[in-house]
Amino acid sequence: MVSPRTVRNLKRELGRSALAKVGIALVVAVLLVAVLAPVLAPHHPLKQNLGESQLPPLGFSAVTNETTSEMVNGSIEVVQRERQVDASLSHPLGTDSLGRDMLSRIIYGARTSLLVGLLGTTLAVLIGVTVGLTAGYYGGKVDDGLMRVSDVMLAFPSLVLAIALIGLLGGASLRIPDPIVAAGVEPGMPPNIVLPGTVIVVVALVNWVWFARVARGEALSVRSEEYVKAARALGASDASIILRHVLPNSLTPILVLATIQIAAIILLESSLAYLGFSGANLSWGFDIAQGRQYLSTSWWIASLPGLAIVLAVVGINLVGDWLRDALDPGIEGEGGV
Amino acid sequence: MTDEILRVRGLSTRFFTEEGQVNAVEDVSFDVRNGEIYGIVGESGSGKSVTALSLIDLVDSPGRITAGEVWYRNADLAGEFRETRPEAVDGEFVDVRRLPEGVRRSLRGPAFSTVFQDPMSSLNPSLTVGEQIAEAVEVQRRARANPRRTRSRTQGYGLSNLIVDSVLPSRSYVSEESSERAVELLEQVGIPDPAERAEEYPHQFSGGMLQRAMIAQALAGEPDVLVADEPTTALDVTIQAQILTLLRDLQEREGMSVVMITHDLGVIARMCDRVGVMYAGEIVESGTLADVFENPVHPYTRGLLGSIPDLEDPAPRLQPIEGNVPSLLDSEMGDRCYFADRCPMAMEDCLTRIPEFAVSAGEPQGGVGSDLDGVDDAAGGGNGGAERGDDGTEHRARCVLAEREYDPERALPDGYFDPESAGPPRSADPERRREPEVNADD
Amino acid sequence: MSLGRFILKRALQGVFVIWGVVTVVFLLRFVTPGDPITFIAPLDASPALRQRIAAELGLNKPLYVQYFDYLAELVRGDMGYSYISGTEASARIFARLPATVELAVVATLVAVALSIPLGVVSATRRHEPADYAATTFSLAGISTPNFWLGIMLVLVLSVQFDLFPTSRRALGFVDALGYLAQGNPNGLIVWAKYITLPAITLGTYFTALITRLTRSGMLDELGKSYVRATRAKGLPESLVRYKHALRNTLIPVITVLGLQLGSLIGGAVITEAVFAWPGLGTLVINSINARDWPLIQGCLIVIGTSFVVVNIAVDALYAYVNPRVVYD
Repeated sequence: MVSPRTVRNLKRELGRSALAKVGIALVVAVLLVAVLAPVLAPHHPLKQNLGESQLPPLGFSAVTNETTSEMVNGSIEVVQRERQVDASLSHPLGTDSLGRDMLSRIIYGARTSLLVGLLGTTLAVLIGVTVGLTAGYYGGKVDDGLMRVSDVMLAFPSLVLAIALIGLLGGASLRIPDPIVAAGVEPGMPPNIVLPGTVIVVVALVNWVWFARVARGEALSVRSEEYVKAARALGASDASIILRHVLPNSLTPILVLATIQIAAIILLESSLAYLGFSGANLSWGFDIAQGRQYLSTSWWIASLPGLAIVLAVVGINLVGDWLRDALDPGIEGEGGV
Repeated sequence: MTDEILRVRGLSTRFFTEEGQVNAVEDVSFDVRNGEIYGIVGESGSGKSVTALSLIDLVDSPGRITAGEVWYRNADLAGEFRETRPEAVDGEFVDVRRLPEGVRRSLRGPAFSTVFQDPMSSLNPSLTVGEQIAEAVEVQRRARANPRRTRSRTQGYGLSNLIVDSVLPSRSYVSEESSERAVELLEQVGIPDPAERAEEYPHQFSGGMLQRAMIAQALAGEPDVLVADEPTTALDVTIQAQILTLLRDLQEREGMSVVMITHDLGVIARMCDRVGVMYAGEIVESGTLADVFENPVHPYTRGLLGSIPDLEDPAPRLQPIEGNVPSLLDSEMGDRCYFADRCPMAMEDCLTRIPEFAVSAGEPQGGVGSDLDGVDDAAGGGNGGAERGDDGTEHRARCVLAEREYDPERALPDGYFDPESAGPPRSADPERRREPEVNADD
Repeated sequence: MSLGRFILKRALQGVFVIWGVVTVVFLLRFVTPGDPITFIAPLDASPALRQRIAAELGLNKPLYVQYFDYLAELVRGDMGYSYISGTEASARIFARLPATVELAVVATLVAVALSIPLGVVSATRRHEPADYAATTFSLAGISTPNFWLGIMLVLVLSVQFDLFPTSRRALGFVDALGYLAQGNPNGLIVWAKYITLPAITLGTYFTALITRLTRSGMLDELGKSYVRATRAKGLPESLVRYKHALRNTLIPVITVLGLQLGSLIGGAVITEAVFAWPGLGTLVINSINARDWPLIQGCLIVIGTSFVVVNIAVDALYAYVNPRVVYD
């Protein structure tokens, strides 16, 4: 499946592109952070501590408005006063409005983003490639049908469709025990990994069309090749021709498209979380939405998770550029977002 | 010998790639006379197309012309630059490479014009054929109207025109008059219904018709020198003949000179007055058509002509030349005759760089012991704009066989250039050398 | 095939796609859990009342009857009445539409105006500082979530420097023009102040995307033989680049732009949410939260239809710019 030539091209392109190296480093870093979240996070990401709310990141200080009840001229009044807040060493990136540790939330947020990005893309690839290869290989009515369905699908912006589906289906999530915590390494951390099931299904449902189109195009072009005709003449079944001849040929463009789609789906997930549609309470987009309200006093709550998104997505896009330049799959660089 | 229009001297073009420096054209010198067709022939990868691009100064990055002069006869330009750029002027000639960029560009069209190999990819697919030819007319029309402006980057074609033109198929650059001229040109090159065809796009033309249109476009500037880079390679055989006839007729009618670049000896034999044979970026043999075709000296030329005489087997070998197209990577080229590794007549003398020798009529001159180094010094240096042909003949070859007979005693052992057996040159043993070669031929 | 017939054919296909959109939107209500009546009727409504409401809205008829009723109403321009406010859905939607259209158009215009020159400069000055700046910008632009960019713009330009309002829309472009007609340019200034940050937020991704596409397309084109041939005939470099290379670069750019129109609308939805911009995006989010079906369906149909219509326009533009297009 991966020919030596492919490997050589990948290596050569990696050697000459510093950006590809940066991309791989970023992706590896985000992956490590996501996997090792319980070990790396200094605090439980959901633990509230109102006494330490809105602490600024290290190196900054902030002024927050505090509402207290005080005795003023003999009567109790609600007063607002400004309070100077200094950073705390135990919260290097500060805390949010409920005193939750920003660094821990960002570290755990990587899990949500990557889970949705990777699983959502995988599911989209499975649906899209199956439909696309079938349509492209058989052609005719099956193909016409697929193209019309994909036209209709494309008429809905993926974000709008995702909002509609999630908003209407309701969010469901699975909880899987976190192996690191289960092993007793970090007992104070959340015991479960939350798998946002609905979000994963929905992002796959709104993005499979891109894979179907690419797979269909590849299948169409391979269908008339001599070796496919020969295989058919020798009595090979359609399924085995598709799996053994058509699929391997489509892998390169699908791999490149999948990389770009992971980035797109991470952005989509953060948008859904920002709008409050993902049901997640531990997601970069969710934190940005929280921070929107505190923009005038606590800039870091909205800013820092956004930086995390940018770094992760830049890394994936750089890897995508690397794959595209090295493998030259002949598809448009920007498949769809 | 003052009837040249072009004197190329010591032209070298290199490509600076990731794999290393590629010496695509190396120290190439030749003359093109008024009204002649000069042929440059070679295998693909011999550097002939890069030579064409170097002539018209269109070598793209990572390539660069690293040395050499292209002297073009133009009394007006010579007069214009005699004071300001004396180094670029020699008599009526100017060195195109030393003229300012704007002037160089203004020479494209009226001085040099080009017909490229593949007409389909050499025309913009999204503009009509007529408009593209009309552009070539228009650029010269504007140049005549305002010579200074030609040399500006925009030629008075402002930003707003650019924006509008890039979005809409407007014709604000091309005047009515140029469009009419384009139709005339199409007619001249034998395209029926030229007015209708002018409105069509390249994909609506057949290959042969498109090449005619390319030629019409090349004629638009009334060039002194037409560079035809493999003009018939992409076409069917029957169409090839028509295009060659057309080129020949036009050359005679317009009195222009043509540099014909091809890998096809048939084209050379049919079209050219004089010819240069290229191998590994060098011109290895040059002279009149008769000199080169009837009395080839360089074993490569003989190989191309399919008539390498075998010393022990008088039957001529019709095999193509053995071995691979040479690597032009600087690091792999070595300090020797580049053909030596494929040459059936390679001798120890071939292990140094070989200068150009004049071939004396009929028989090779000089004996086995002639002073090689002396000749090297005399011929190796640049000739500048000075005349060549020191001994009256223009048949020249970059091969020791121009100077002396093949001497089996001095022959290199077989497999000398194989990487495995690379070693110091041993004394040649003709018997041992023969055997593997016979096997290779079977 | 002539351009006119081509457009006609695409329009016919478009009608079918719109019909597909309507059908999907209609079915959406039946595949989602939850009875709409629950959202409309008072919490303590008796079964009889619920029955009456269902009958009034036609919700008790068989599916296919409801479907054809819906189609028939839609053809007359009737999208039903909002469950929540009782107002005509179409009126609500078309009242919101101008704000979204304004935002999308301004963002697109700015994106196209900035990105194409940027891409061209980037390609023609490859490996120079301008190219590095443009590629860095475009990489960051396609990698930044636009809602976060909007919030950062608010943080810096509104909260810190107080240059622009943080949210909402004071008046529409048409109103602003009305003021201008009365000799008062302030309306236009206010309009511009309010739309600046949302338009940057929405437009950055597209600016970055088109810059990337233009750069790589331009590099491709500049390496082609026809460009060399065009130079060989003596054309000035500006014509070679703009009249020849850029034109061919724009052909695939237009295609991708058409395909990306969906993400423009999606981007508008979230941009509107960030800036409380009173457009279709905020309406659709609110309607989904409230299960206000007539509004949800109406919004989705309007969005899907505009996508189809604009894509037909893009195809027509494509065919116009690219004479090679083979209309099968």
